[in-house]
Formats: sequence, C-alpha cells, structure tokens
Amino acid sequence: MKTRYDRAIKIFLLLIPTSFLLLVVIYPLIYTVVMAFRNESSHFVGLYNFARAFKDPQFFASVKSTLVYAVTAISIEFFLGMGLAFYVTNRIHNEVLKYIVYLSFIVPLVTPQIASGIIFRLLYIPNYGAINRILHLLGFELEPGWLTNPSLAVASAVSVDVWQWLPFVFLVFYAGFQSVPLDILEAAKVDGASTWMIFRKMQLPFMKPLILLVLIFRISDSLRVFDHVMVLTQGGPGRATEFLSIYLYKIAFKFWDLNYAAAISLFILVFMSALSLFLSKNLKAEVD
Amino acid sequence: MKLKTVSLIVVFCLILVVNCSFSLAEESSKPKELTIAALAGMETDPLKAIIPLWEEQYGIKINLILYPYNSLYEKIVTTMVAGVSTYDVILIDDPWMPKLGKEGWLLPLDKELGYEKEDDIMPVSYDLGTWPPPYGPIPPGEENKEKELLALPLIGNLEFFMFRSDLIPEEPITWDDVYNIGSKFYDPKNGSFGYVIRGAAGNPVISEFYPMLVSFGGRIFDENWNVALNSPESVAALEMLLKLKTISPSGVEAYDAAERSREVAAGRAVQALIWPGEASQMIENPEVSQVVGKMKYIKIPKGLGKNGRHASLMGNWLLAIPKTAPNPEWAFKFILWVTSSDIQKIYAKNGGVPFRVSTLSDPELIKTYPFYPAMLDSLKIPPDWRPRTEEWFAVENILGTYVNAALSGQVSSQEAIEKAAKEIEEHMKEKGYL
Repeated sequence: MKTRYDRAIKIFLLLIPTSFLLLVVIYPLIYTVVMAFRNESSHFVGLYNFARAFKDPQFFASVKSTLVYAVTAISIEFFLGMGLAFYVTNRIHNEVLKYIVYLSFIVPLVTPQIASGIIFRLLYIPNYGAINRILHLLGFELEPGWLTNPSLAVASAVSVDVWQWLPFVFLVFYAGFQSVPLDILEAAKVDGASTWMIFRKMQLPFMKPLILLVLIFRISDSLRVFDHVMVLTQGGPGRATEFLSIYLYKIAFKFWDLNYAAAISLFILVFMSALSLFLSKNLKAEVD
Repeated sequence: MKLKTVSLIVVFCLILVVNCSFSLAEESSKPKELTIAALAGMETDPLKAIIPLWEEQYGIKINLILYPYNSLYEKIVTTMVAGVSTYDVILIDDPWMPKLGKEGWLLPLDKELGYEKEDDIMPVSYDLGTWPPPYGPIPPGEENKEKELLALPLIGNLEFFMFRSDLIPEEPITWDDVYNIGSKFYDPKNGSFGYVIRGAAGNPVISEFYPMLVSFGGRIFDENWNVALNSPESVAALEMLLKLKTISPSGVEAYDAAERSREVAAGRAVQALIWPGEASQMIENPEVSQVVGKMKYIKIPKGLGKNGRHASLMGNWLLAIPKTAPNPEWAFKFILWVTSSDIQKIYAKNGGVPFRVSTLSDPELIKTYPFYPAMLDSLKIPPDWRPRTEEWFAVENILGTYVNAALSGQVSSQEAIEKAAKEIEEHMKEKGYL
C-alpha cells in the first residue's frame, strides 16, 4: 500500500516539472506552428506563409547578410581566440599577468548586449564619436562613416560581436590547452617536435570537442544577432544590416504580420536544429 | 393649513430620501481605484505628477501600469481580443487609432458618455481621436460607419521648426530659405552646421521627411488608397532633404532625436525640426544646453512649387476607454478632469505637452516654454496626421528604409521614391486596400 502511495507521490512530483516544461516551452512552440499555418483572420491557409518566404527577396537578402555577418564574426573570433589562448598558454608564464588577462576578458562577457550596442554607438557615431575624434587628434582628416557606409556598418556590427564573444572563445580554448597532459608535451619537446607540430598533432586533437562546442554556441548566437545591431544601426543604412532577426522583428512588430513572422521563425528553428544536431553528433563522436 | 404642513413635510422627506439614495448609489458605484495602461518613459512623468491631485480630490486611487512602447500596444490588443476588463483608461499613440477604431474596441465618448466639444480644443485634436477619420482616405469596410469620438489627447505632441534667432535675423519661410541661410553657417572645420537631419532608418527619418513631403505637396496615398507617392513633388522633397544633408554634420544617416538635439544644444547646428519634448528637456534646459533663450520656434517652412505649403506632423498620445472597462463612468470623469483647462496648466507646469489653446497661449507658461506659440501656429495650419490605416507602421518602415538609403547614397532620390512606392503598393494590395 505504502509503495503504491509513494509511487503516486513520485508521479505527481514528476508531473510538476513536466507541466512547467509543457507550458513554458512546448505551448509557445505549438502556438507558433499553428500561427504559421493560419492567416490574420485565423483561417487555415496551409503552406501559404512558408511559400511567401520563397517569393520574398528581402528574406533572402537578410539570410545572405546574416551569413556574411556570422561567417566573418565567427572566423575572427575563432582564429583570434585560438591564437590568443595558444599565446597566453605558451608564452605568458607570469601567473599574475595571466590572471589580469583572464579578468579583463570577463568584462565584455558580462556586459549586456544592449549596453555593448550603446558603448559602440558612442564610439562610432560620426562627429563626436570617440573613434573619429581620436583619428582627428592623430591628424587624420578622414571621417569614416562607421554606421552610415553600408560595408563599414556591417563591419562595425561584427566588431561589437567580436568584442563581446572573443573572450568566451579565448577562455574555452585556454581551458582546453590546460587540459593537455604536460608529460606528453614535454616528451614531444625532448624528441625535438616543433611548436607547430605539437599544436597540430597533440594539442589540437584534445581541443576538438571544445572546438565543436564553441562552434555550436557561436553559430547559434551569431544567427540570432539582434540587440546590439538594433541599437547601433536599426538595420540601416538602407537595409545593409537588416539581419534575419531584425527582419523578423520588423515583420512581426512593424508590419504586424505575425503569421508570416511565425513561418520565418520556424524556418530558422528547423535550420538551427538541424545544424545543432549535426554538430552535436560530431561532438558526441569526439567525446566518445 | 394642517394638511398643507403635512404635505410639505412629506415632500421634504421624499426629497431627502431620493437625494440620500442618489448619493449612496454614487458612493457605492465609486470604485476604489482606476487602472490606467500607459507608456513607460519620461512622457508619462507629468501624468504621474498630477495623479495625487485626482486621488486627493476624488478619493479614488490610480493604478498606473506602465509598459514600453511595443508592449503597451501588444497588451492593449491582447486584452481587447480576450475581452478582459483590465483597464479603465488606456493611453494610445495616435497611429494605433485605426486598429482600435476598426475593431470597435473603444467606448464612444460623445455618443455613449455625452462628451461635448469645446472651443478651447482645436478641431484637429478631436479629429485625431475620431473614427472613422473625418477626412482623408478611409480604410476598406469602414466607410459606412458613423463617426464617433473615441479618444481625447493627453500629450499634444506635434513637430515644428527652430533656428538660432541670435545669429539669423530673418526667419526662414521656405525650405529654400532654410538651405540658403544654413549654407552661410556651414563650416565643418569649426564645428558649425547650417542644419541637422534626424536621418536614422525607419521612424526617425520619416518624422523628418514626412512633414517635408507634405509641405512640397506630396502625399503617400490619394483618397482611395492608391499610392500617390511617386510624384515630382515627392522627389523634390527628397532632393531637398539631400540638399540639406550637404550643410548638415556628416553621418546624419545614423542620427536619431538625441543626436539631433545634441548638435543644436551644443551650438553646432543652427536650424532643425523639433518635437516639444526635445525642446523642453534638451534645447531649453540650461543644464545641458548652450543655446537657452537663443532659439526661435516657428511652424515648419513651406515647400517649393505651386503646391508648396506649411505643414506639421502630429504625434499625439490619446486617452480612451475600452468597452470592457470595469468603471467607464469614472474613467470618463478622469479623462474630463485630466484634460480640463485647470489641470492642463498644472500638467504643463510639470513638463507635460498641452493641447488646449488657452494653455498654449498662457503668457506665464510661454516664459518657460517659448515654443508654445509655434505649436499653436502649427495647430492652426492644421497639421497633418499619418495616414489613418493600421498598415501605417509597415508603410513607415518601407519608406523610412528607402529615404535612409537615399541619404546614405545607396540609391538616388528618384529611385528611392519609385522603389518605396512600388513596395508600399504591393503591401497595400496584399492587405486588401487595392
């Protein structure tokens, strides 16, 4: 009798988090799916909203600009982060200095993205922005339109991403370098292996799971970029920085076309899930 | 005699009983509090300042629930859709009126609650809260509805023009004057500019361009929602904006209101468009401005050509009562109280933007807020409102993107107008307007 009672209690207790999960995660998802298949009068329209995306040149333009943004930002963060982690691990032996580097890299990580956007807007804004003032004080007569030239505006948005997320990549890779057993490294050095050989043949294999982890995080974050771009350029000049999330926001909250916005967000969800699944499978294989 | 006395006593008692029951009924229907949904931000601070006066006078607490701009609209719409009686009064941005009016979610202040119009309030202020719109194109399906007053202004925002009267002896009448005068002050090496544009993509640049478009005789829609944007007047207006860019600080394509005000307050730019909030909090604020008392405020200059005229842009915040309001009579009393001339004056003293003629012409207030006469002049034009369609935000976004692209040199003015017109037309077709 007692066992049955205990079992009932256990089931009840398990139901609480499950219901919470259903309510908070599953319900909005189902609601989005339902919306994507309906029009604004709540009539079922089948795949109409999805088909609209294929005929919408701005959707493809925003996908393209998002990919350019993500590939640029992730490449810089990845190679610079790896390089810095390698340098700090192998060249900086002073523990205090290492601690200072570590601490200074924490600052951007804990800065809210909106705040990063505001900081960089104050740096980049023409005329009284700090960067152009410094250029002026150094004697340069040029005034680059950091936020007004289409290519520079994309580069400016990428720079905020790099500032904020390079430390994350660095810290993960730095931790990875620490995990390589010292005796193997020392044995390789005794055998006359070059720094490049040690990196490629010994340190890199240890880092593979971390590389995949960094890629999963950074790809999903970069494709969702929104906050700092909204503060920096609001998608401008023209549509130069109208990345997918900003386009989605405009469709939903400027055009109030929630059904089409739901369809686009499902596209993003499916794409991101497939990518994450692919990377996670590789990650699992590496860990195993 | 005896009978007469008894009758008098009976009548007296009856009157007493009736009076008591009326006041008891009023007292019993008197709510403990009224719930108001309003915008979070400095626009609502003056309202917060006068609420204690209402609470003291009527003994009804005001529960002011504040939301950011997008959330406020979303909360109002979702509450109305669900038919929940949450708010007694809602503060709405005037471009939201088409959606709220079309859905029939608001209580008519004139038909249901007996509101009578006053001479102290300009007709255009009433027109803004009337649905269907008294003039201009009417959204499909709304043409045969009876016109009703659904909202009254609280924040009487409208756009006007300012220039440095200590440096410029004659006020500019046309946009050409603005350019010619501004050219004399354009000296970027010494940080002096003839004009400053609020040019960031979307809503910011449209606040700048729309009154200019109207002043040149351009318009976005004709009376039947056909897109009339692609016209020589619209191109001329955009050409003028590009011309003004040549005497503005570099990078105005990224400027929003804060950057524009800052350029003027720092004494760098000598002419610009302005909203009342920016004028009181930035330009005439001695703590942040170097040009206090040096500015003259006037109505927006005329466009060129035979259709050129003065124009202004309204951006009022309105008070309305949802049909689901728990206490509509007291909500109406609150709106009457807060928009009365006595309270408007106190509201204005606390930094609120008034809309009554008597408040805008009050000599005591004009000393603190020298832009009131310009607001009154602009109200008399009368100012234009954004086309009364729930699709306005989409239209603004499309046009705002192309005007910004023209400002940043990605497309020519002709191309920007053509592309924007085409995209707006496609959108309006999709939404059943064409």
